[in-house]
Amino acid sequence: MGASTAEIADLIARCALRDRQAFRDLYSRTSAKLFGVTLRILRDRSEAEEALQEVYVKIWQRADRYVPGGYSPISWLVAVARNHSLDVLRARKPLSEDIDMALDVADAGPTPEKAAVDSGERARIDNCLGQLDTEKADAVRGAYLDGFSYEELAERHAVPLNTMRTWLRRSLMKLRECLTA
Amino acid sequence: MSDESNISGRDEDSLLAAEYVLGVLPAAERDGVRARLKSDASFRAEHRFWSGRLSSLDAEFAETPAPGVVWSRIEQRLFTGLARGGFWNSLALWRSVAAGALAVAAIAVAVNLTAPRPDPRVFAAELVAALTAEGSNVSFVALYNSSSGELRLTPLSGEQYTDKDYELWAIEDGGPAKSMGVIAANARNDVPIAQDILIDFGEGTTLAVTLEQKGGSPTGVAQGPIVAVGKATQI
Repeated sequence: MGASTAEIADLIARCALRDRQAFRDLYSRTSAKLFGVTLRILRDRSEAEEALQEVYVKIWQRADRYVPGGYSPISWLVAVARNHSLDVLRARKPLSEDIDMALDVADAGPTPEKAAVDSGERARIDNCLGQLDTEKADAVRGAYLDGFSYEELAERHAVPLNTMRTWLRRSLMKLRECLTA
Repeated sequence: MSDESNISGRDEDSLLAAEYVLGVLPAAERDGVRARLKSDASFRAEHRFWSGRLSSLDAEFAETPAPGVVWSRIEQRLFTGLARGGFWNSLALWRSVAAGALAVAAIAVAVNLTAPRPDPRVFAAELVAALTAEGSNVSFVALYNSSSGELRLTPLSGEQYTDKDYELWAIEDGGPAKSMGVIAANARNDVPIAQDILIDFGEGTTLAVTLEQKGGSPTGVAQGPIVAVGKATQI
């Protein structure tokens, strides 16, 4: 990442105060990352560009929903980009009011995600995914990173849809156990 | 599913939150989850758990520079008058404005059937621009007809000052603002377009109105604040 977490958080806060220069800086520092997200999930360059545009419009309009100390700021931006891309992918118009941007407002209190970008946290999820069968871990990654639906996952892994669903849900239960241990 | 019958309600909630964060759910179920997120604090905690933990995977999204045009579109969308919202953005609105203008023109023609010359009030607009700006109450609609070479500016709102004038400017991408003269905020303006402006004038040309001293900027460069701005677009 080209910018420190604190700097990104600061830029988002200034966007909430309608500082256009901060918005420009935020874009120049984070757009490559978010374009990586929309491009990977939508797999179509022009749709990904369109989505990126919508994502930053949303960020400008909802910058006040970001609460420092909740998500890491870059995770928040990635979540906005992922959710928008997934909505486009699931062939529906994104909601005008995006609940994903408001979540941290509702729940103050301890936030383990704060440290989510730490390498320790990264090693942890890698370790927990590593405890799953390879193809099940691949399914989790494929859903998160590539936006695969249950149908697509079933097709890719050549199993019936219900089997895929059971697999993934069981894997998620194991993952949860491991991540909370 | 029978083989999941041992999953408790709380686990079920956690799984649903995980499926939402992963993105595997179909659109209708995504909506259902969002509705619950609004009203259910313990469900939000599950969501927070999963989105926090899975965000460790974010590092795998490869950075890819976005083409410059995306930023221009964002700026245009957020910070220029034309694309500020559904109302100004609506092509249907502009079509109906143009259709209204044509209807008026048609009546004018019908009334003047005996007149020997074409009616000068016929104004078939080909380009349109909405001129507005954040924090300003001044707004204009601009219609351009290439056969007459005139730009018709109709004020929608804004105060006409006695000691100041509004000045209209045309701006091509990256170029300097060229004055199109002083315009009134209390009357329709038919502005002829000078040759040096007409050469590039078309879709995408930015029109801006500034508030200047009486008679307009003496230097040929805008000195006052922009009170309305918008891009010309084809109808």
